[in-house]
This record gives sequence, structure tokens and C-alpha cells, in this order.
Amino acid sequence: MPTAIFTIGRSGLSASRRSLELTAQNIANASNPDYSRRVLTQGELVMTGSIGTNSVDSLGGVKPGTIERAESALVQRQARDSASALAAAEAEFFALREAESALETSGVFTGIVDFEAALTRLQNNPTEPALRLSAVEAGRKMAGNFRIANGTLANARGLVQAEASAEALTVSERAAELAKINADLVSAREGTAGRAALLDARDKALRGLAEEFAITPTINANGTADVTLTGVPPVALVTGATAQNVSVTFAADGTASFSVGGTPFVPGGGAMAGRASALAEMADLQTSLDALASSAINLANTAQANGVGLDGNPGQPLFGGTGAGDINIVLASADGLATAPAGAPAGSRDVANLAALIASYAGPSGPATGADSLLLGLSSRVSALETRAEGLSVVAASAEAELLRETGVDLDDEAANLVRLQQAFEANSRVIQVAAELFDTILGLR
Amino acid sequence: MGFVTNSAGSFFNRSLAQMADLRAGIERTRAQIATGRKLERGSDDPAAAAQLRSIARREALARVEGDNAARLGQDLAAGASEIEAVTALLQRARELAVQAASTPTGPDGRQAIAFELEQLGQELFSRANAVSLTGEPLFAGQSTGAAFTRDAAGNVTYVGTPESGAVPVAPGTAIERGLPGSSVFEFDLNGTPSSAFAVLGTLTAALQGGAPDPVAAANAALEGIDAALDTTNRAVTILGTRMAWTEQVEAQQGERMIVLAERRSRVGDTDIADAIARLQQSLTALEASQSAFARVSSLTLFDALR
Repeated sequence: MPTAIFTIGRSGLSASRRSLELTAQNIANASNPDYSRRVLTQGELVMTGSIGTNSVDSLGGVKPGTIERAESALVQRQARDSASALAAAEAEFFALREAESALETSGVFTGIVDFEAALTRLQNNPTEPALRLSAVEAGRKMAGNFRIANGTLANARGLVQAEASAEALTVSERAAELAKINADLVSAREGTAGRAALLDARDKALRGLAEEFAITPTINANGTADVTLTGVPPVALVTGATAQNVSVTFAADGTASFSVGGTPFVPGGGAMAGRASALAEMADLQTSLDALASSAINLANTAQANGVGLDGNPGQPLFGGTGAGDINIVLASADGLATAPAGAPAGSRDVANLAALIASYAGPSGPATGADSLLLGLSSRVSALETRAEGLSVVAASAEAELLRETGVDLDDEAANLVRLQQAFEANSRVIQVAAELFDTILGLR
Repeated sequence: MGFVTNSAGSFFNRSLAQMADLRAGIERTRAQIATGRKLERGSDDPAAAAQLRSIARREALARVEGDNAARLGQDLAAGASEIEAVTALLQRARELAVQAASTPTGPDGRQAIAFELEQLGQELFSRANAVSLTGEPLFAGQSTGAAFTRDAAGNVTYVGTPESGAVPVAPGTAIERGLPGSSVFEFDLNGTPSSAFAVLGTLTAALQGGAPDPVAAANAALEGIDAALDTTNRAVTILGTRMAWTEQVEAQQGERMIVLAERRSRVGDTDIADAIARLQQSLTALEASQSAFARVSSLTLFDALR
């Protein structure tokens, strides 16, 4: 049966060529992080015909089987979960570091200390116009620094909010994309390159979603993935071919609330949860900063009310406003600083009232201590978050490495495959050549 | 065939992450050397940052307190030198009174003495109203106006406050700014309140013919002048003690500033030797890691197959 040799050789050629193609595909995608390497399964082709007890085998060569995709649901899940936890910690860390810079570089603490120093200097000679003026200007600087801190904190908050809004849109799009992939997967035939590509896309979409929200995916038998967002309460984001919309809204104090398809929920993880908790902490920071400014305002104004200015008249309020956003100097003239106690005559050099103001500013409930503990609390929190993010990034990196080890392309492996398949291809060509020579021999019989 | 392989992507990711870590460490060390500061932001070391803040506050206040002490020292010195001049003046007045009390001095001589005494009275008045370098009255207590006023009849009255107020020069230490005029020029003479002005004025008036027995009046005035001298001597002693105190406080401030600076440096400054050693170490590690990466990454089967 010389024709059988042709068929066998041809089937071998076609199988090794298809394997070569797949190897080339693997090599081409070696640096594609979403690609899972493929192998071609093969099966022997034997045709057996039997009449009665006589059976005859006819060898048919090899049958190219299905394209198999390296898959490991467990490692995928590990990589997803660790990436989700890392994204949460990093989002919170970056947001709060922004807030830390805002408060530290705005110089709230320095402003308070400079005001205290100017007041202390004024004690030396409370009637000297230059010293009075410099005390008032130091107060103006302190107020300005409070407003800068307020503005930069609002800026940091605005950045996080804008990011959250943008990412909410991305999540909605990814969910819609996953729903579409689910629809396509239902109709994709098992073992085809198209199906493998769809599964790659599915895993990519799941990873993308997991970075923003903690998710609980359910992989169905047909390869489709249903996604539930972990949180309180858990809500379904993608079910088969339908996806819900994710939206985020911000309260007046800047804190974020999420809803999926109209159902409000609190995310249990992912970058969004990190951003939400950063926004909540920023709201607390804003409250503390306002309290600090209002204590600076009230202490100064109370002292003013208790004393008299250079002209002997009762002191008028030094600061106006109620918080860090609107604190400002309202005293018309530096002569109005009430350095002397009530009842002192005009032009008195008595500094009893000024000393009381300095003591209240330096006291344990004064703004200097308040600003220090606010900064200490914030920087400790940022430092703890940084440590946490570092730890999680090691975990995430090792999970990612594990995933790549399971599903990634090993170039050495592929190079060896290339050599092997090339040899197989050449050997099969040789088989066809032998078959042709056999034919020629037979045809050449005389 | 198993699915566990040594993925090329994983190798590149790992190597890049490790090299990026080294780079970041080098950047950080370089910034520490360039800025001289160990901490870039509070979260690098929250406790040290809090310590630095409290040191910075203490330093700012100590600097102001140092200025206050220096100015206080100047004011006290100005007051002391005025009072010393007043002491010399009163001693001259006493000499004159002794001269006037001696019988050989005739009415003309007494007239001349009275004239000089009148001048001394003027000088005493203007010294009592002396001002500091910045124009504040030295002996008016907490008042900014003149310390003493003179009415049409020539009577001098103290119009300042009885307290002169204290200036904080160190945490918990405040030194009185000076002495009120009432305790420099006014005293109690045999149970009656009197002053250097009153004593000199009375004597001048007596010598100018206001008293039937000028010799007796001059003898009587000696007691008053002695009391005035006692008072000014006491004032000089008090001011001298306070000046010594101020100087001591200034010396302490200088030492405290050094201690604060040392502490700030220990907490917040880069240890250059240590930083450079660490930089060198990281650089070596980075270079080694780069060349190892270059070698290992070229080790694919593709290079071997030709």
C-alpha cells in the first residue's frame, strides 16, 4: 500500500507543521503577560476493518488533536487575590502619602512655632511697633499655612476621587467585556485556538477586575466566569452574558460610597477599598486640621478679649474664620494686639496677657502639640501602610512568578521544541521521499 | 510533559524588580547625601520626625529667648550706667552740702552752691527719665510715658508703674526688665516718704535764702542725700545681680543650642561615612546584578543553536 505511506508522511508533516506554528506562537507571545502557553495534543490514526474474524489494520499516521492551554485555576486565583490585596494597600498608601506631603510641606507646624516665637519676642518689648507688626505677620503666615494645608489636602482628596471615578468606569467596561467574552465562550468549540484566546482574555479581565475590587469568581464548566464582588453585601457584577454598572458617589466630607447596578455596597478589598479607606482617613484629617485651626483661632481671640491693646481699649479678635479653610487675620492694626491685661492703661508694657496667650499656645491642648500629634499620627499610619504594601508586594510578586511558571513561556523549552519539530518535519519529508522512490521502483519494473 | 517550566517572563520580571529595588535604594542614599538629611518625609521614621519637630520648635524659641536675653542685658546695663552716673551726681551734691554746712562759706558761696545744686537737680531729673536704646523709658516700670514729671512748683512725681515686668529668657525663667523709678529715686526718710529730687530741691531752696539757718538746713540735707545714695547703691547692686544672671542664662542658652543642634544632627542628619559606604555597597551589588542579568539572559538555547 504505497499510498498509505504517502498519507502517513503527509499527516506527520501536517502535525509537525502545526506544532511548529504553535511553538512559533508561544515564542512570539513570550513577553505577553496575559498569554498562557499552548501545546498541541496528537493522536495515532489507525483504521481497522474487520469481516468475520479477519481484521485488517490500516495505519493512517497521526491526527493533530486539540490545542491545550496551560491552566491552573488555583494559581490564577492566588495571583489575583494577592494582587487585589496589594492594590488595596498601595492605593491607600499612595493617597495618604499625598496627604502627608500636603500637611508636612504646607508648614502648619512651622507656622505655629514661628507665631509662638514672634509672640515670645514681643514679650521683650511689647510696645515696639516692629515687634508687634512681626507678631501679627507671623500670625498671618500661620493662617496662610493653614489655608495651604487645607487646599493641598483638598487637592490630594480630589486626586483620589478622580481616580476612583475613572476606575469605576474602567471596572464597568471590564465587566461588560467579560460578559461579552462569556457569550463568545459559550459558542466557541473546545480545543480551538480561538477558545484558548478567549480564555486568556477571560483571565485577563478577571485579573483587571480583581485589582480594583475583591472578587469571588465562579468558573463554569463551559469556561464562562460569573463574578461576585466581595463586600457588604456581596453583589453580582457579571452573570453569564450580563454585566452590572459600577458607580461611585462622594459625600460632602469626601468619603466614597459604591453601588453596583443600583445596589449600594461596601467593597471588601482591591484598590477601590484602599481608596475608600484613604478618603475616610482624609475626612478625619480634615476634621483634625479644622479643629487645630479653630483652637488656634479661639485661643488667640480669647486672649485678645481678656486684655487691652496699646491704646488701652479691650482687644478685638485677632483671627477670623472657623476652620483651616477660612482662618485669617482680622485685627486691623498691630497696635490692637492685647498684650496687657484688662484694666492696664494705654501704652502699658505689662505682658501678663501676652504671657497667658503664649502659655495657652504652648500648653498640652495648644495648636503646636496638636499639629505635632496630627503629623505623628499620619506619618506613623503612612509608615505602617508602606511596610504593609512592601510585604504584600513580595507576596504578589511570588504569586505572579508562580503563575508565570505554570502558564508562561519557557524559551529554552520552546527552542528545544523547535529543533525537535524541525527534525520531525524533515523526517516526515524523508518518509514521503522514500514512498516516492518505492513508487518509482515499482513503476520502473520491466 | 509537565506544565511547570522556568518561564522567561518570570525571570525578566524578577531580575527587573530586584534591580529596580537596588536603584531605588541608591537614589535614596544619594538624596540623603545631597540633602544631608536622613529623613525625606515623616513616614520614613515617624518617631524621629516628631523628635525633629520638637527640637526645631525648641530651637526657634531658644533663639528668640537668646535675643530677649541679649536685649535685656543691654537694657539692664543702660539702667545700671544711668544709676552709676546718678550716684556720682549725688556724691557731688553731698560734697556741696558739706561745704554749705561749714560756717566759713559765706552767703555768696552758698548762692553758688545753690546754683550748682540746681543744675545737678536738672541732670538728676533727666537721668531719671532716661530711655533705652530703643527709646523706652528705663525707670518707668511698665509705662511707656516719662517716669517722672515736674509740676510748676518744681515738685517731681513718679508716674510710672510700681512693677517693671519680667522678660522670659529661658523655659521657666523670667528676669525683671529693670527697676521702677520709685525704687531707685524714692525712699523713706525717718518715716516720711521722700525722694532724691525732694532732698536736692529743699536744699537748693534753703541755700537760695529760703531758710533762716542755711547751715542747719545743709546739715539736715546730708541725711537725705545719704539715704538717696543708699537707695541708688542698692539699685546698682540689684541691676548688677540681674545682669550677671542674664549672662549666666545666655551662657546656658549657648550650651543648650549646642545640645539641641547635636541632638538634631544625631536624629536627622546623614552620617556621611555610613551613607557613602552603603552607597558603594549598593552600587557594587547593582553592577554585579546587572552583569549577572546580562549573562544569564543571553543564556538561551537560541544562542546555542546555529
